[in-house]
Amino acid sequence: MLHIKNLHKSYRSGNKSYSVLKGVDLSVAGQEFVAVMGPSGSGKSTLLNCISCYVPFEEGTISLGGQNLKGLDEDALAKVRNEKLGFVFQDFMLLDGLTVRENILVPRIIRDKVEPKAEQLADSLLSLFGIAHIAGKYPAEISGGERQRTAVARSLINQPLIILADEPTGNLDSKSSRTVIEAFENARRQLGATIFMVTHDSFAASFCDRVILLKDGTVYDSLARNAGGNESRGIFQDRLLAAIKQMSTMDGRSDEQ
Amino acid sequence: MMTMNQLDRKLQKADRKQSLLYLFCNFISLLLITAYAAMMFSPTVLEVLPEGGDSRKQMTMIFVLALFGCVVFTVYASSLFFRKKSRQLGTLMALGASRKRLAPGLFREVLALSSCSSLLGIAAGFPFVFLLWNGFRLFIVESDEMHLRLDFRCLLLSAVFFVIVVAFSCLTAYRYLKRTNIIDVVQEEHKNEPVREPGRWCGPVGIVLIFAGAVCGYEAPAVYMELFSAYPTGLLNLLYAPVFVGLYMVILHTVVHGWIGKRKHPYKNIISRSMMKFQGKQTVNNLLVSTVLIAGSAFAIFYIPMLGVGQMLDVNSRPFDYCYHYRMDQTIPGQEEIAELASQHGLSIKDFRDCPYLILGMDAIVRREEGRRFHEEHVDLSHSVKVFSESGFYALTGEKISVAAGEYRIVSTSNESDIYLYTDTGTFLTNMVTRDTIDVKFAGYAHYDFLAGPPGYLVISNTDYETIAHGLTPDWLGTTAFFNIDGEDSYAFAQDFFYTLVSSFGPECEHGYYYDRVEKYAADEAGEVYWGDTPRLSKLSFDNPDASDFRIYWAYMPKIRILDRNDFLRSFAVYLMMFLFISIICTLAALIISYTRCMTIALNNRYVFDDLRRLGAPPSFLVREVKSQVGTVFRMPSIVGMTMMYLLYALLMLGNDGQLVSGEIGGLAVCLVILLLIAGIFYVVYRYTVRKMCGELGI
Repeated sequence: MLHIKNLHKSYRSGNKSYSVLKGVDLSVAGQEFVAVMGPSGSGKSTLLNCISCYVPFEEGTISLGGQNLKGLDEDALAKVRNEKLGFVFQDFMLLDGLTVRENILVPRIIRDKVEPKAEQLADSLLSLFGIAHIAGKYPAEISGGERQRTAVARSLINQPLIILADEPTGNLDSKSSRTVIEAFENARRQLGATIFMVTHDSFAASFCDRVILLKDGTVYDSLARNAGGNESRGIFQDRLLAAIKQMSTMDGRSDEQ
Repeated sequence: MMTMNQLDRKLQKADRKQSLLYLFCNFISLLLITAYAAMMFSPTVLEVLPEGGDSRKQMTMIFVLALFGCVVFTVYASSLFFRKKSRQLGTLMALGASRKRLAPGLFREVLALSSCSSLLGIAAGFPFVFLLWNGFRLFIVESDEMHLRLDFRCLLLSAVFFVIVVAFSCLTAYRYLKRTNIIDVVQEEHKNEPVREPGRWCGPVGIVLIFAGAVCGYEAPAVYMELFSAYPTGLLNLLYAPVFVGLYMVILHTVVHGWIGKRKHPYKNIISRSMMKFQGKQTVNNLLVSTVLIAGSAFAIFYIPMLGVGQMLDVNSRPFDYCYHYRMDQTIPGQEEIAELASQHGLSIKDFRDCPYLILGMDAIVRREEGRRFHEEHVDLSHSVKVFSESGFYALTGEKISVAAGEYRIVSTSNESDIYLYTDTGTFLTNMVTRDTIDVKFAGYAHYDFLAGPPGYLVISNTDYETIAHGLTPDWLGTTAFFNIDGEDSYAFAQDFFYTLVSSFGPECEHGYYYDRVEKYAADEAGEVYWGDTPRLSKLSFDNPDASDFRIYWAYMPKIRILDRNDFLRSFAVYLMMFLFISIICTLAALIISYTRCMTIALNNRYVFDDLRRLGAPPSFLVREVKSQVGTVFRMPSIVGMTMMYLLYALLMLGNDGQLVSGEIGGLAVCLVILLLIAGIFYVVYRYTVRKMCGELGI
């Protein structure tokens, strides 16, 4: 589904160049739920921004559903974002003037006019994520968890190849975080969605099939759920925390909890 | 089924608060520009304000200020609108909308908003002018001249501004669409626009620059003329630029540091000051525009008291109720006829006295212009003078002065405040009939306020008077007469006397005091056309003796205390209304800008107030923070703009003759009262704004 090879990305500040991604290699299979974790400055957000086509990268390839994203013009990138990617942001990014149902339909409206089929899909997503009762409400009238579930539903309306989630639980309390993660799980199970999530939250990451640890712009480790994916969430979280601790003690830091 | 167009419309509807603000700002800008242009090109105003005169220059100058204010206001409104809009654009782009997909909706919205608001503003400009002007006529003063006529060519100016507004809006839309960066929007938390913090020297240096710029700009033309014997170009006005730089620095200092108390109490007002600092760029721009507009308003409104108070003091201090003069070839009512006319009104006259004068030619060193350059040369027949004998002056005024043979004195006010009106370079007087001359030299001034003023009287010795008067025909002789009314004067008699006097003059006297017969003779003899006979000179007519032009400029205009007192408003009505109008427009614009800025601060900083509330700040604390913000926005431009203009006006008055005479001091005192009134209006709007802001923030 998603293949990244030797990805390099650097930023310039004045005359200096800062290398953020230094040859990232990773792959995400279809219907996989993958999290990326790492200390601040490890390149998580930059990696996500490169996959999202928000920022160009200098070296390497990103292939999405067989399409290489390098060198595409602005219109083609917009098309990729709209048709092949779904987005969930930390601060929701819902449009205040639209209802929950209309917000869910926005990517479809951008793509083309909304057919009854898309409206049916929107309604089924509303039900799937338990937000049908607030379909007519505006973002200002609903809770943070409901907003994020709306964002998850929105990310699925164009049936993308992959959902990119940037700290989706970062602005939420633990109860709301859980409902959002459950929404991702539902999306994967019932709609076959592929999810790629950047997070600081080991609890959220423990729901994933696999967690990629990023450090200093390279992949440090990749932890998959054992026992054919049947390892309990709690045990997987403990293993995850231990790996993070080990990664942090390598250079005397302990950023992640 | 929802389409992209429907989505655009839905989002526009949701953004209507922001759109309304944008609409309102454009509407006000165009309304003000149209109203001002309508006034400036109105035949009613143009016929009264002399071409090339100071009043017209002042009107144009303030128009430029208002135009500047409106442009900044519009720019501010559109940048505010698009800043909010860019988050929406960024979200849609993040979800896969390309710029091409977003452009049509955005441009449609911008075009609709900017053109509708501008057209509405233009349409409202004319009713606004009519309402305001006729309000003046109804409540303040009414005269035939006050009938407002509009020249719709002024719409051209509005149309140009309309095009600028629409083009600028589209350009800004394009710029924002091009620059909107998904990453910026995705990662945005609370975007602000901080100003670079200057040192504490910034404010004091700003004040020095304001003064330095004012003095340089004011003195530079005189220095330039002295050095290069040429009139300066408009470019020299750039020397006023330090005023604006200084103003910017003073405002920046106010926003960043404040002026008092920071060192002693570093944490006092720290929240409001930091809030203001982080909205700094727009706040500084807004305060600058408000300051300029308030200064413009003060500059315009000062015209009225400075003119009125001086005039009233002069009228009240006159030693006689009536003063008139005439040429001896005219058949003018004498003492008996005037007494008879007075008796018809139940009045009697007293203290009648009159004195003959000669109308002579005089030489002078005059300035000759060739384009911008000029040179000075001696001209034998430069201008005419009215000349009293030493004894005649005493008989008329009771002032004993001595003038030696071969000398002359110029009649001036007791403090010689008008001497810049006269030349003392004359060396001989010419009898315009016989062309005999006598040599004379300037021997100082004779003081008598009642006879001072252009074109000016001279006093020479009795012997010189006898010598030069020989052979003069009646049209080169004149008489000046004074008298009082025994008891209370009557306005009806004054009018009767005035109309009788005017009707007694022949058409040869139907001209302004600036029409000089000696100059005309000299021009005729040189085979040139006298400028007073060209269409450049506006003509006066005996048919309309109540016209302000006639009352102000007629060469034989009598001084009648009760008439001048009662008709002052009418004579200067158009001037007064024009400047009052300008002042109202500028004040209104400054108030709207300040109010809008405060509401923007409230909207942008809502989260700060929410955070403060969560941290346990009581409502009284929040209100204090609001007041501190609003106070700076209202107080700062008012204080700086008003003080600056007050000092400039005092400097101008001082620059005229190197002193402040009683009329000017009185005028400045009234100006101070007016400033307090304007400050009162600002205070009321400040209170209203605080209330609205607290409501908006839920305090």
